Parts: sequence; C-alpha cells; structure tokens
Amino acid sequence: MNAAAKRAPIRPDWWSKTFAGAVLGATLAFALAGVFAWVGPGGIAAPDKSQFVMWLIAPMWLTVFGFVWLFRSGAQALLWLGGANLLAWGLLFWVRG
Amino acid sequence: MKIRSDILRVYQAVHTWGGICAGMLLFIGFFGGALTMFKGPLERWVSAPVVPVQQLAPAQVDKVVADVLAQYPAAREEFTLHVARHEDTPAPVSWQAGESGHEIDLGLVRWQATLDADGKLAVTQQQPSLLAELIDMLHRTGGIPGTLGEEYLGIYVMGVAGILYFLALVSGVILLLPTLVKDFFALRPGKNRKRFWLDAHNILGIASLPFHIVISCTVVVFAFHDQFYDGLRGIVYRDQPMFSPPAIGATPRDAAKLLPASELVRRVQQQAPGFEVTELLYMGVESPRPIVRAAVASPRHVVQAAETGFVIVQPYSGAILSTSMLPGQGNTWSSLVAPFFALHFGSYGGMTVRWLYFAFGLAGAALFYTGNLLWIEKRRKNQLKNGPLPVQPRRTANIAAATVGVCLGSMAGVGACLVAAKWLHAFGAHGNGAYLTVYYAVFLACVAWAFVRGAARAGSELLWACALAAAAIPATSLAGALIPALGMWAHTSPATLGVDGTALLLAAALAWAARRAARRARDGAADSVWSALPAPALVAPEPARQVGT
Repeated sequence: MNAAAKRAPIRPDWWSKTFAGAVLGATLAFALAGVFAWVGPGGIAAPDKSQFVMWLIAPMWLTVFGFVWLFRSGAQALLWLGGANLLAWGLLFWVRG
Repeated sequence: MKIRSDILRVYQAVHTWGGICAGMLLFIGFFGGALTMFKGPLERWVSAPVVPVQQLAPAQVDKVVADVLAQYPAAREEFTLHVARHEDTPAPVSWQAGESGHEIDLGLVRWQATLDADGKLAVTQQQPSLLAELIDMLHRTGGIPGTLGEEYLGIYVMGVAGILYFLALVSGVILLLPTLVKDFFALRPGKNRKRFWLDAHNILGIASLPFHIVISCTVVVFAFHDQFYDGLRGIVYRDQPMFSPPAIGATPRDAAKLLPASELVRRVQQQAPGFEVTELLYMGVESPRPIVRAAVASPRHVVQAAETGFVIVQPYSGAILSTSMLPGQGNTWSSLVAPFFALHFGSYGGMTVRWLYFAFGLAGAALFYTGNLLWIEKRRKNQLKNGPLPVQPRRTANIAAATVGVCLGSMAGVGACLVAAKWLHAFGAHGNGAYLTVYYAVFLACVAWAFVRGAARAGSELLWACALAAAAIPATSLAGALIPALGMWAHTSPATLGVDGTALLLAAALAWAARRAARRARDGAADSVWSALPAPALVAPEPARQVGT
C-alpha cells in the first residue's frame, strides 16, 4: 500500500458502515458473549452466569457500532467485521462442541 | 490531541443526526427518570389519606394476615404485608384481584386490611394511585402509546434512541478531544450565543459522561433483553439450562399453617443485618411452590431493584431459599450484575445519590435541549451588515417549534397530572382514570401551541406554563391545608413536603428561564428563530443538503 492511499480521507459510506456496525457488530457481540459463556470462568453451567453474559452483549455491540465510521470505507468495514465474525463464530462452534 | 479533519467531519454528522433523531425522546426519558428517583414521595404526595397510618404490634399484624387468608381466597394467590407504612400504604395487608400483570391497569382496585378499634378485621376497598407508575412508564416509553407483542412499543423506540444516544456520546467525545483542554469548563457568555450554548452543552456532556454511558448501555439492555436472551438460548446455551429453577414442593399447602409474619421478618432480618425489611410479598401460599419475597432496603448497599434488594423465603418452614438478590450475599455472577441495575436506578448511596441522579437526570434533559438549540443556531442564516433580514429555513423553524413544544409539553403535562390528582379528588373523582387524558391533552396542546405561535413566542409562553404547573403543586397542598372544605389534603411528612418544596424551586427556575426567553425574543438578534420580531414569510423547504454539512 503506498503512502498516498494511506492519506486518502475516510469515506463516509453511510449505508454500508451503518449496516456493518448495526448488524455485524451485533452478531460479533453475540458470538463473543457466547464464547465467554463457554470458556469464561465457571464454564457454561455456572449458576447465575447467563445474566452476566446477556449484559455483555450491549456494551460490545455499541462499542463496535460507535467506532465503525473509523474504517476507511464501507467495504473495509464489512470486510474486517465480517472476518471478525467468522473467527468468533468459528470459535463459538468449536468451544460449544 | 490531534484528530484528522475527515474523521471529525464524519463524526460531526453522526453526532448531529443521532442527537436530533433521539434528542426529544431522550429529554422525556431523562425528565421522567429524574422524577422516578422520588417515585415513593410522589406516590405518597398524591395518595389521599383514607385511613390513618396504623402502627400495630407484631402479634396484631399476624392476626390480620391469618384472618385475611381465612376470609379472602383471592389473597391466597398473592398479597403484600407492608412492614414499613406510609401515606400510600396505611394498612398492614393489601391485595388485589387477579395477577399483577405487565401492563398498567388503570381500573385497579385493591383491598387493604387492618384491625378496627375492637381488634376485629377491617377491610376497605381502595383505588391505589398509579401516578408514579405512569411517570415511570413515561420515562420508559417516552409517552409513545401502543404495544408490540407483549412489550410496549415505546420501550423498543426508547431502545433505539438509546443506541443513537450512545453513538452521539462516542462521536461527541471524538469531536471534543482536539480542544478538550482548552474548551472544557470555558463557559463563554457574551455576544456569541452559539458559543455559549456549545460550552454549556460540552460541560454538561463531559461532566456526566460516565453516567451517560451507563444509562445508554442499560437502556439498550432493558429494551432488548428478551431478544438477547432468546438469541443466547438459541445459539449459545441450547440444551444447557440458562437459569436454575427453584425446587418445587410436592403437596398443596394449608394457609393456616404459615409461620407468623413476625417470625419471617425476624429470619430475614437475621439474614440481612443492617437492612430494613420494608415489605413481604406472599406468592401462591397454597400452591406447591409457596414463596415470600422480602424487600430489604439499605442506603449503604448496592441493591438490585429500583429501591430494594430481595430475600426469598419459604413461608412455612422459614427456610431462606435465595439470597442472590441480597447485596453482598449473592454469588460472584449476580454480584457482578447488580451494579448495572444500581447504576441505572441510582439505588446506592441512599438519599445523596438519589438527589445526585435527580440532578443528573435534569442535566441530561438539558443536554438534549441545548443540543437541539445548537443544531438550530448552526443552521441560522445571519443577517449581512445592513442587509435585509434573512429568511430562516422552514426545517429549522420546525425543529425549534417541536423542541420547545415536546420538551416543555412533557414537563407541563406531568405537573398538570400531579395537580389534577388532588383536585379530582376534591370533586369526588379518582385520578387514575384521568391521568392519561390530562397528560396527553396538555402535551399535545403545548406542541400545537409551539407550532402555531412559532418557537420564539411559544418558548417563553410555554416556560411560563411549566412554571405555573410547578407552582400549582405546592399551591394545591397549601389550599388543601388552609381550606379543609375543599376535600383535599396536605401531608406533612418530610418526603411529601420535599415534593412541594422541589416543585416550588423548579417553578422559580422555570419562571427565570421564561423571562430570559422573552427578553431574547424581544431584544435579541432579529435574524434568529428565537426572535419574535415579525419575520418575512418562511421559504419553502430548502433543497436537500449534503449530509454532514
């Protein structure tokens, strides 16, 4: 990547970035909360843990959503968050057995 | 700190549009939320003194419970023993027909039982005031009527507003970072109105930022927790139980063999030293799974509900079934979750934190109000030197009118409901049936007024209306105290006097704001939407602008 491309201003790409933040941010948060439920302290059967797991979703989702416009373009946002989703969901399916 | 200008530009747009779309709803949410900090005192203030608050010996209370259960089968499903008694809970035992459902039942009838002078059971029927419940609902739904599935539609709308609110917070902080040190706490009054409002907006936002982050996250969870749980159940937990159900006993029970209430209170007290047991909610005493949910209050602990923590007791054996909702005694996970609730409800630190949250709530409402003012000022067309008076865009004038009408309308509406509660009682009617009519009538009238009169004139007029509604609250109490023939009342407990006193202070503040608004409309710059000078006719809607300009 050359220097000129790096300095190109970020594009707003309102629709694709907002979609990435709202939808891919949410699915990512679900998968990460799920991974925490299985491999986090106490494992899946720890009493009263599910409520805490549920509370994890909103902050993670909103954080991703809030910073999604920092991606240089909508395509970048979809690509990176899509990749993170694949990883997180793969991890979830793996730990869930 | 330096931030690239292209990033600032994008986040400026996120901030503006997130704020404008959610601002008015959030104003109502914050104003209502500030009031729910004092739900108890408000409920006590509007509750007519039907029976004097009675102090009974523990043995007498046990007799009331036993007699009620023997004579009123409806109470065996669910009844409440009020250990702490106030103006709105004068009798020790109360119950209602049917289950306490999800939606507010405006025709709700409740029975309350105590002992008469001869020591015999005395049962009266009453319609408990639901005003505080309705203010809480206004807080949670923004006053949007209707249901979606089993939930209020407004709760989901508020959840979406909560998301926009979080985005506005993130973008607001990003925007402020480059000039944080220079601008923070620089309140520059003077000729430049926009500069002044921006400084005020920044101070309010940054000074209470942690509070706002917590509120926005919790609002999203409160709105969508069912969907979150469903999602987790479907993809994460599947066959694993998410909650461990309490054990179910085998046989139906005989209500005559319940442990005395005083004994249950004693056991709960043992379990929760330092807490005050405020009420016992008996559920299904004749079912296979009879439980008593004891509410315990302590100003020194973080509690799970809005005001109290809970201890679950078995009412026949007195066995403690669960302390996971008792602060400091739950397991790690539930004690990690409790602060989320407490931080939203302000239910830690007793009265100090309640007042702090009340102030934060009003400051939050002011944050959205000033945000809208900034949007309006930003789009203002300035008059060139000696040039003709510019025409302000219709869109800007509309947002100004809506801001004034919706925000001030919700405040005037709530004030009118409080006053109506006492006056309706004076004329033999009950407030519950009328609250919604009174609120929406006042609210919609204010919105209509703002659009008809224009933001500049309506601004000070509606502020006067709010001041009047607030002043009518202590005035009504005073009238009730001075002229008993009116059939009203004035409670004298510190909590209810606090309602009168706070309303009086708010009335003074609103009257001051009304005078300032009137002065600006009269003497302020003529090229503003806030100027009452006859302006040239508004132009047709301006052509669509590029987002972010």
